[in-house]
Formats: sequence, C-alpha cells, structure tokens
Amino acid sequence: MPASIKVQEQFGDDVQVIFVECQGTEKNTYEAFAWKMKWMGNNAIWTNERVIPTVGRGLPEVALIGVDGTVLLQGYPGDFGKELEETLAAEVKKSKDAPAGTPATLKKAWASFAKGDLGGALAECDKVGGDDGAKARSEMVARTEARIARVERMLAAGDLAEADELVGALQKSCKPVAELAPKVAELATKLGASELAAEREAAKAWSSFSNKVAKDKPFDAGNVKKAEGIAEKHKGTKNGARAAHFVELSKINLNR
Amino acid sequence: MFHSRWRLALAPLALVGAAWLAASMPAAEGAPVDFKFREAAINAAGVQGMADLRGKPILIDFWGKN
Repeated sequence: MPASIKVQEQFGDDVQVIFVECQGTEKNTYEAFAWKMKWMGNNAIWTNERVIPTVGRGLPEVALIGVDGTVLLQGYPGDFGKELEETLAAEVKKSKDAPAGTPATLKKAWASFAKGDLGGALAECDKVGGDDGAKARSEMVARTEARIARVERMLAAGDLAEADELVGALQKSCKPVAELAPKVAELATKLGASELAAEREAAKAWSSFSNKVAKDKPFDAGNVKKAEGIAEKHKGTKNGARAAHFVELSKINLNR
Repeated sequence: MFHSRWRLALAPLALVGAAWLAASMPAAEGAPVDFKFREAAINAAGVQGMADLRGKPILIDFWGKN
C-alpha cells in the first residue's frame, strides 16, 4: 500500500491526499486499479491532472503543500526520511492554529474559528478592528464560503452523507452570523427535501457497499453482483449510477 | 484579407492554448498553488481545486499505474 494512503487514513480530514497518475493511463483504468489494490475507501482524491509540475526524473514523487498554500517539499519520497512525516505533522498542528504572522490580539479569534465558533471568531475580529481585524474576518468568511460552496457541489453530485456532515457543522458554526446563516439554512432545507428521498436511499446503499468492499476483494463476483443489484434498484439516481460505474470498472482488463 | 481570415480562424485555438498553458504553469516560487481541476477528480467530494482546501495541508503523490 502506498505510504500516502496510510497518511490519508491516519490523518483523516486533517490532510488531503491527491494521487496524480502520470503515465497517461486512462481514467477508468487507474480507478479500477486503485479499487483492485484496495486503495479506495478513504478521502484521497484521484486525478491525472498535475496540480503542480513534477521536478524529478521518475516516479514516485511527492509534494507537500503547507497550510499557506505553498510547496514545502517536493521530490523522491525516499530522499526525505523523517522530514516529510515531521513537516506534515507540523502543518496539521499549524492548520488548527492562527496563520503565521497573526498578531497576538487575533489569536483568540482564530482559536474560536478552529473550534467551529465562527460567530465568536468574527465578534473577536470586530473587537480588534483595524486592518488586522478586517483581514482576519475576511479570511474566515472566505474559508466558510468555500465550505458552503462545496456543500452545494456535494448536493449536486449526490454525496449526501458528506453534505449532511458538513452542513451540520456549518449550521452550528454560522448560526449567529447574519451574512451566512440564511445560505446554510437553505442548504439544510434542500438536503431534507422529500425530492431527495430516492437519492438518499441510494446514497446509503452505495456508501455502505463501497465502504465494505473497499478493503475486501472489491471485484469479487459476489460483490460485483451486489453492485449490479444496487445499480438496478436505484436506477435514475447518481448513486445508482456510481454502482453501475463500479460494475463497468470490474470488467476492465488491468493486465494490458 | 487572407491573413485576417486565418487569424480569425485560429483565434479560438489560441485562446484554448492560452487557457491550457495557464492551468499548467507552475506557481511562482513561494507563491500559493492556485489550481482548479479541468475535469471532476475521482472521490473529490465537492473539491474543485486548491481554493477549496485552503488552510489544510495537501500531500500530492505522483504515481504511475505501470
């Protein structure tokens, strides 16, 4: 198993691992390969688009992007020794603290923000005032708006369990914030709508199935048959289509 | 006249090329990585690009199936 899968499973939502396939393999083929190798069933994202250019002459190569969005380390993983692990752990810690260079007067605001208390955090920013207070307020609102936009996309894609979780956290966090609370309430209403009942049922079936088979011979005949059943029962839903896609992936010859 | 027609015909190609280049350009040294997926990534759960992950460490693993 690649070390990055272990990182994703160890740190969960605190770190985002992105796998970038660099040999021109067709998307369905590398997705099927990842399933077969039991690398799915976690939050890792898979793509063939190079988020940043590679710097080495071969694979594997890793890059660590820090909480400030800049590349901290990049190269052959074996060359870093413990440095990669230690830098990553330090960045996870930093992600729960105020951004670098934050004045001491705003540390309390960032601590509230990290705890999910956006109302308290913004009130603290306003109390501090000036350019620093306004800058921190604007960053906190921007990060929250990005999460709200993400829920909208989850909803559109049928990722209902993930959307429920994020909306739950946002409702708690944004309740006292007049500029954001109505948008979050609107999303919560959309998520609870009866029109989503069929998608919700399909999401439950797909999620339960995919989590179960991810680490246990995903493409065994029995599992593929179950996926076919989910696809048939939930035809017309996005999660039913995911089950049908899984069946198609199981047919790909990975030895070519 | 002939050249103007060619220029007009090639303009959309040039625009596509410029957009592709912009998406492939490395971030300036020390600047935050600004990247948006052109096609939905697998298991992205609503993530369209780096902006959705601000404030979170990201580990990129470049690999090859073969």
